[in-house]
Amino acid sequence: MRLPPSVRIALLAAAAALILAAAYLGLVAVEVPESWRDETAPDMFRTMFFHVASAWVAYLAFGVTFVGSAMYLRSRRLEWDALAASSAEVGVVFCTVAIISGSLFAKGTWGVYWLWDDLKLMMTLVLWLVFVAYLALRANMPGRQRRASLSAVFGIIGVICIPLSFAANRIWVTTHPTVIASSSGDIGPGSALALLLSVLGFTLLYVLVLGMRLEVEHLRDELEALKSRVGD
Amino acid sequence: MTAVPAILAKELRVEMRSKQTINAYLLLSLLILASFRFSLALFDPDYQTLAAPILWTTIFFSGMFSIAPSYRREAEQGTRDGLLLAPVPASDVYLGKMLSSLVVLSALEAFTVAVFLAFFPVDVPEPGALVALLALGTVGFVAVGSLIAAISANLRQSEVMLPVLLVPVLLFTVVMSAVSGTAQVLTGASLDGVAEEARLLAAFAVVFVAAGYLLIEYVMEG
Repeated sequence: MRLPPSVRIALLAAAAALILAAAYLGLVAVEVPESWRDETAPDMFRTMFFHVASAWVAYLAFGVTFVGSAMYLRSRRLEWDALAASSAEVGVVFCTVAIISGSLFAKGTWGVYWLWDDLKLMMTLVLWLVFVAYLALRANMPGRQRRASLSAVFGIIGVICIPLSFAANRIWVTTHPTVIASSSGDIGPGSALALLLSVLGFTLLYVLVLGMRLEVEHLRDELEALKSRVGD
Repeated sequence: MTAVPAILAKELRVEMRSKQTINAYLLLSLLILASFRFSLALFDPDYQTLAAPILWTTIFFSGMFSIAPSYRREAEQGTRDGLLLAPVPASDVYLGKMLSSLVVLSALEAFTVAVFLAFFPVDVPEPGALVALLALGTVGFVAVGSLIAAISANLRQSEVMLPVLLVPVLLFTVVMSAVSGTAQVLTGASLDGVAEEARLLAAFAVVFVAAGYLLIEYVMEG
């Protein structure tokens, strides 16, 4: 699962090009759509391009952690554990970005940084808490194999509680705009394109960072192996 | 399934023999309620509204400590190896320990509710509905709590790690539904009125017991 340097450079170039194009379109070229102009800070609309992309990457990353965890328990191959752990770490970073950018977006549109009764906001915060706890679990468990099984079990429970929470959602309202679902005409074709480029760019960035993080994990294993050989 | 009663009996015997641990949970629960009572005494809040969050927060935090030792003492006293060597499936160990925690937690809750009603001026129009919600919420809580206690027993700083791992999983599932249902019961809803919450809590209980039953094997091994 190691990325060769040429692939890494290509990924970096593609991600940078896409994100820069999205930034130009989203921050400079695109007009704020009609429906957003009477908000307190209409230009906050532009945060959306990065907010949606980082939230998408966070969900994707946690999904990868779930798959990696399940595959580890099935196959007992440490590569799957490395994938789950690396993806969780990258996911927490993107989730933090999504929460902060979302709060700024909310301040500009709803006038408050956070709504404590909004389903999407709460779900994202719960996911963030679950995966921060997941990283804390890994940090407190010595022993490679045991850490892998324990964190895989926790990763699975953490993700299982998400559909359960959605089942419970009738109690809460959601004020969060559903830009993607409500046909892109709502935000205008320029914005839709910027959003698409941004999501693609962030996804490539995720793959790149995940690859580099896996490399670190791999080097760490190699180092452990060397250490135990020298120790003999 | 045949080993479940044996494990349950063993766990309860251990709990009964170390009476100071049960007393410590009761004391902790009393102190959490006292903290709420003292800090809120400065204001004049609407206790009928605050009742459900206070009651459940107390149950969750004191309950966590009562679930924690069931796996940790096996690790500390070196009896874990014996349990692993016994020809008993891990899922039976999980069920036995879960049931034992359920018994201990139910006793703890009876005490907590009594102290709670003594401390706070709260009416309970439908005691039956309150007991039903407490029971359903507790099963889900204990089911996932036992599994996570089994995980955290292996960790460094296991005392801190149990709440760190358990709270995020419970927050949006059991906590929200239990508090929502209890709040409605305390403002006069009958059990039919909170049927939706009761069903959700029952669903969480089923899913969490199933998850624990299937996953405990990976936690207990080697």
